[in-house]
Amino acid sequence: MDSDIILVIVVGTALAFDFTNGFHDTANAIATSISTRALAPRTAVTLAAVLNFVGAFISLKVAATVAGGIVDADLVTTTVIFAGLIGAIFWNLLTWYFGLPSSSSHALIGGVVGAAFAAAGSKAVLTDGLLEKVIVPAVVAPIIAFAAAGGAILITYRMVGRLRPGPVNRGYRLGQVASASLLSLSHGTNDAQKTMGIITLALIAHGDLTGASPDPPTWVVVSAASAIALGTYSGGWRIIKTMGSRIIKMDPAQGFAAQTGGAAVLLTAAHLGFPLSTTHSITGAVLGAGAAKRVSAVRWGLAGNIVVAWILTLPAAAAVGALTYGLSMIFGSGALGPLLISVCLLTLMAAIFGQRLRRGPALTTAPRET
Amino acid sequence: MIAAINTEALLELMWAAPLAVLTVTVAYGLVVNGAARAADARRDGRGVRAGAWATVAIAGAALFLAAVVFGLIIMVSKD
Repeated sequence: MDSDIILVIVVGTALAFDFTNGFHDTANAIATSISTRALAPRTAVTLAAVLNFVGAFISLKVAATVAGGIVDADLVTTTVIFAGLIGAIFWNLLTWYFGLPSSSSHALIGGVVGAAFAAAGSKAVLTDGLLEKVIVPAVVAPIIAFAAAGGAILITYRMVGRLRPGPVNRGYRLGQVASASLLSLSHGTNDAQKTMGIITLALIAHGDLTGASPDPPTWVVVSAASAIALGTYSGGWRIIKTMGSRIIKMDPAQGFAAQTGGAAVLLTAAHLGFPLSTTHSITGAVLGAGAAKRVSAVRWGLAGNIVVAWILTLPAAAAVGALTYGLSMIFGSGALGPLLISVCLLTLMAAIFGQRLRRGPALTTAPRET
Repeated sequence: MIAAINTEALLELMWAAPLAVLTVTVAYGLVVNGAARAADARRDGRGVRAGAWATVAIAGAALFLAAVVFGLIIMVSKD
């Protein structure tokens, strides 16, 4: 009975994380398209949501090893996964509140690392894996994307700089629709897989699935795809505003250079077996496309805040993951701890939401279409 | 600890990623450049010139499309 309840809680929490992942990362694919008016805001989030949903079905090579190679898989229990998810959700909501783009995948890894550390000590954390899969990519992604998008915009201005701006802007807006679609599809393929992996792991631990790497059941695939698509559709407007217009005011050519530069870097890295964070790549590309045109056009203070958020992602999510695990274990290894924590968090969120409703609309809305 | 880093893939990424971005940028630049100049030439009544620029735009579009298809193949086939 206890394991049934934990399974239900982990599945619910995983889908909640998937939802936050969707609305947190919407900006990666469409923020520049909205700011350059390549797409109307609501059209952009609808397109991203649909392609996120489709992307979740493209590849079902589930990452059954969530944080695989980073924590000792034998020490990962459903309670560790639950605590890790809470750490990731906390960080996603906090960075969304401040409008800062940060990696949902790194938040999830941080949460699981923290919970595993609290469960089994330092032997649970594989530092080589952490270095290879999190720290090095976090440094490399924005630098390469910055340089590539900077080069791209210089070449672009060289090629089209003397033409009439009307057709050029229309052309690059059209190109942005293609690059936004590609990024949305890629996001669905990558990130919905993580939730499927978590739920699959929980089902294996519960004894519902057997085998070394079983396929996720259809309901898992459909629910993960739906959760990320719904999250994307709800639109994380705060981060969209940061990525699309607060870092730099961009023209359609810059938007295209940032989006396409980021996408090309991501897909090349995936092809070489060196996966990078979408958020880090796209943000680096936005900064590069802005700085190459005029260094002073970039709001470097805001860029600094974003980098600080990236540095804090792993330790902050890990701390919350560890704390959640510790609190949960006070009530023993059964379902009571996760159940009480879930009820407390839901009550807290409902109270905050209710208080916010009294002051006006609780959810930020899409910028007015002009 | 350094042994944990896949330096070969990292070094390849250093040149392959900018090359990919460069290819896509030039391809789409040809599309925009070709289409805009073809429209201008057509308006000026220079049919041959318009046809030549339209060909440039089509070639760029084919290259850009090939890059998008390659991206989709990477997405579908990744482990």
